[in-house]
Amino acid sequence: MRTIRNGLVLALGITMTALGATACNGGGGDQQTPAAAAPNEHVDLTLATFTEFGYEALIPEYERLHPNIKITPRKTGEGGPYHQDLITKLAAGSGLADVAAVEEGHLSDVLDKGSKFNDLSKIGPADASPDRWLGWKYDAAKTKDGKLIGYGTDIGPLAMCYRKDLFQAADLPTDPEQVKSLFATWDSYFAAGANYAAKTHKAWFDSASQNFNAMVNQLPEGYINTDDKLALESNQGIKDAWTKVTDAVAKGESAKLVAFSNEWNSGFKQGAFATKVCPSWMLGVIKEQAGPDNANKWAVTAAFPGGGGNWGGSYLTVPTQSKHPKEAAELAAWLTAPEQQVKAFQAKGNFPSQVKALTDPALLSETNAYFGNAKVGELFAEQAKKVQKPQYKGPGDGQIQENAASPALQAVEQGKPAADAWTQMVEAAKKITR
Amino acid sequence: MTALHGDINAGLRKRVATLGKPRKATYIVLAIFVLGSLFPFYWSFLVASRDNGMLTERIPPFVPGGNFFANAARVFDTVPFWKALANSIIVSGTVTLTTVLFSSLAGFAFAKLRFRGRNGLFVFIVVTLAVPTQLGIIPLFIAMSELGWAGHLQAVIVPNLVTAFGVFWMRQYTVDALPYELIEAARVDGCSMIRIFWNVCLPAVRPAAAILAMFTFMMSWNDFLWPLVVLDAGNPTVQVALEKLQSGYYVDYSLVLAGTTLATIPILIVFVLLGRQIVAGIMQGAVKG
Amino acid sequence: MTVIDKIAPEGSKAGERVSPRPTFRHRLSRWDVKVSPYLYVAPFFIVFGIVGLFPLLYTAYVSLFKWKAGDDNPDFIGLDNYKDLFGDSQFWNALTNTISIFLLSSVPQLIIAMMLAALLGARLRGATGWRVGILLPYAASLVSIGIIFANLFGPKYGLINGVLQTIGLDPIDWQASRFGSHVAIAIMVNWRWTGYNALIVLAAMQAIPKELHEAALIDGAGMWRRFFNVTLPLLKPTLIFVTITSTIGGLQIFTEPKLFDAMPGSNNGGSSNQFQTVTLYLYQSAFENYSLGYASAIAWVLFLIIILIALVNFFLTGKLTRTPAVKVKKK
Repeated sequence: MRTIRNGLVLALGITMTALGATACNGGGGDQQTPAAAAPNEHVDLTLATFTEFGYEALIPEYERLHPNIKITPRKTGEGGPYHQDLITKLAAGSGLADVAAVEEGHLSDVLDKGSKFNDLSKIGPADASPDRWLGWKYDAAKTKDGKLIGYGTDIGPLAMCYRKDLFQAADLPTDPEQVKSLFATWDSYFAAGANYAAKTHKAWFDSASQNFNAMVNQLPEGYINTDDKLALESNQGIKDAWTKVTDAVAKGESAKLVAFSNEWNSGFKQGAFATKVCPSWMLGVIKEQAGPDNANKWAVTAAFPGGGGNWGGSYLTVPTQSKHPKEAAELAAWLTAPEQQVKAFQAKGNFPSQVKALTDPALLSETNAYFGNAKVGELFAEQAKKVQKPQYKGPGDGQIQENAASPALQAVEQGKPAADAWTQMVEAAKKITR
Repeated sequence: MTALHGDINAGLRKRVATLGKPRKATYIVLAIFVLGSLFPFYWSFLVASRDNGMLTERIPPFVPGGNFFANAARVFDTVPFWKALANSIIVSGTVTLTTVLFSSLAGFAFAKLRFRGRNGLFVFIVVTLAVPTQLGIIPLFIAMSELGWAGHLQAVIVPNLVTAFGVFWMRQYTVDALPYELIEAARVDGCSMIRIFWNVCLPAVRPAAAILAMFTFMMSWNDFLWPLVVLDAGNPTVQVALEKLQSGYYVDYSLVLAGTTLATIPILIVFVLLGRQIVAGIMQGAVKG
Repeated sequence: MTVIDKIAPEGSKAGERVSPRPTFRHRLSRWDVKVSPYLYVAPFFIVFGIVGLFPLLYTAYVSLFKWKAGDDNPDFIGLDNYKDLFGDSQFWNALTNTISIFLLSSVPQLIIAMMLAALLGARLRGATGWRVGILLPYAASLVSIGIIFANLFGPKYGLINGVLQTIGLDPIDWQASRFGSHVAIAIMVNWRWTGYNALIVLAAMQAIPKELHEAALIDGAGMWRRFFNVTLPLLKPTLIFVTITSTIGGLQIFTEPKLFDAMPGSNNGGSSNQFQTVTLYLYQSAFENYSLGYASAIAWVLFLIIILIALVNFFLTGKLTRTPAVKVKKK
């Protein structure tokens, strides 16, 4: 029994210290300016990313430029486990990397924990100034009290992709310039879809939520207002978007395929839908899923209903857990500088968010053979500039999109009455923001 | 057995002799189940030997393509496979050995030895099984950081040195598989407790220990989230390393499944080695007396 | 828990035979008998003390706070999380789903596992191969399981709906239908875990002395009587093990419903939570909604529910296997 008691004592000891540590640790939100390491002192930095950031070749380059710095990359494949790891270590109060990537969809939650991240506008190097980035990209990473918690890496500017062969069969224009009028506004988009569906009895788009998310993101205010209160029910723009999308579903415009599901993948090959909301990175997905048999059937055009939009992209943050915040901020600033992001674009196709990178010849000359040699670099750079000022993303915004709006629209596509699904969405959103 | 002889008729003797002899139907039923079990492995290999396009074919091909070695080579280029393999073997090997040893010891004590608090302690162990594990990762990470183990292999090994599952299983098995008579006989011969465990109990519970070893190795080998969270980036286990293959906006399944196919080979070896141990225990002979 | 006494036969008195003149050897031996059991069970409690106890206390503590992950000064709210939970329709929905999937999976699973164990217990040629073969689903990678079952149960292009339509039946939307999704998930669970349980039962069957079967046969007992009168009573400890572990595993079901959801990585359990289980809800609360306090309360309530149901099943198993054994002595 003694061992048991010893075990208990040990466990309790750990309990006390750990609870004390997590509960009382970071009391001060305004950290003092951290002391930088002496100029040539050896510094170990960890860099946590997920999926592909295209930094593989950049890390050794940075180490060559800064011989005293050793970088350990920590790369996770999928965003899901990566962000769970992030939350675990945020909650545990230790273990986070010195430079930690955060995906756009998780940004609202991270901004809510602003005190756990360093203000990069204070500790970062001078060349990482606001004018480096597209305004909307930069502003999205600012907390309400004006702290900058992340440097923008890449973006996913939205354009429209469509199937030329299916358009032709429905007597629609196929030329990228001529189709632009179809994609001018959401009304023209859904009207064209209604005609297409009536004529061909085939679906116009893949999934209702893909359109709805983009529509909500274009509104001046999102699910959460600037007082951090749920404003879903009082937001007429959201209600209108809901009505338009669910009407389109009722008219048979949706292929009812859950984005990124197995059947959605098959849908590309089956030609199950004629148009697709298309962030820059979607081109690779389409090529992979539709396969060589469908080469040159897909096209992309520099138009997006309602102006512009963005889906995806990330930020590099420096958590307050870091022992070398200054060095970490320098690394993050260097990686997100235009020169480096152009290299990342060349390596992995991540579309840069830096103003100078968007005029880089290497980017502008990029074409895509699968999409009929479209000049996709120039096209998406143009789309990136169409994005309006960023919508304020209050705490829970990303979760409402993922776990309230998208499932509710999926339910509509599965046959649930739109009014019931609306109630379901509102209830779920209330629970998330409780 | 001697008592049985003489008074039984020939027909009955024949039935006794054929007791436990399988019929054709037995093989057929088992074959159906094994085919169903094998299918995902064969399918994974098929994808690994072809390319991603196979996944969206309406009627997938049934013969392997020629890309397996090319895909496997890409796995080796993308992730530190050998390093991860070595780590996984260390972790799973250690955890399997200690779990089987400690669980058998505790199972022996709970099943056959008398000591104060026995029932209470045993029930406690079974009750700990019912604790949902999903949340444990946060406090466990705190504990490992406090101990200074975060980043090191012991952070993955120590939590699984012995499991409630193992103790529960070995205790339940030992209850019936190990007759008291054998323990008493060994006591009379002057054996110490540990000798009784080693020479009498362990051989008697060999099938259960083999099964526990298979399960433990498997669990440890396929564990993903905890090693991902607690181990250093340069020091992954196989599953953590392989997860990196699933990166990017679309997943190259021929690459991913080439990786999982490679990672399954050690499990199959362990299964075959240990599967042989699930034979009738020595008790068959021992109780004949 | 006096029930444990019923399982365990009277303990050995071997070590307590005290000789009249205690020699050093004898004292050593008595000490051995007294202390050894504690030494043998100690490893578990040491490991539990290091890694098991703290998480338990931590979740209990956190469940009393309105604690969002990363909060510095969470508010103490006493039992409010638990009160909220009992009024939370999503929790009751998740509990209903969990029990439905649990019943749909564990009942057929255990029956088939017993049958398979009986088949595997025969004197098969290539016995190891058959046994390993039956256990393989347990070793399959989650990636491949996810894709294969998505291909089988896809509402539009899935194989099963293809077959249903070919034979003139209506396709089933396995994702949308509540009962349909439960059936599909149960099939997934059974595919993964039946062989595992079969092997456990097999090991226990191997330990039954063949002489008992032979003796029963000679007494004129048929196959079913031998099964109910010889096999079942002697399998009792193992069946208790299988029942309790399946109850726990079934009520904590997480991986299969998560893999089944068409929305990759989702914890919603379908568009209207039609197959969200309690552990999925718990996980979603903690790692998507950051509500550690609420998630901890879910964890504790689930823990108590599992204990309750496991106890019920424990007594049921006891009843089922209490059939008197054939009057054959073991020796």
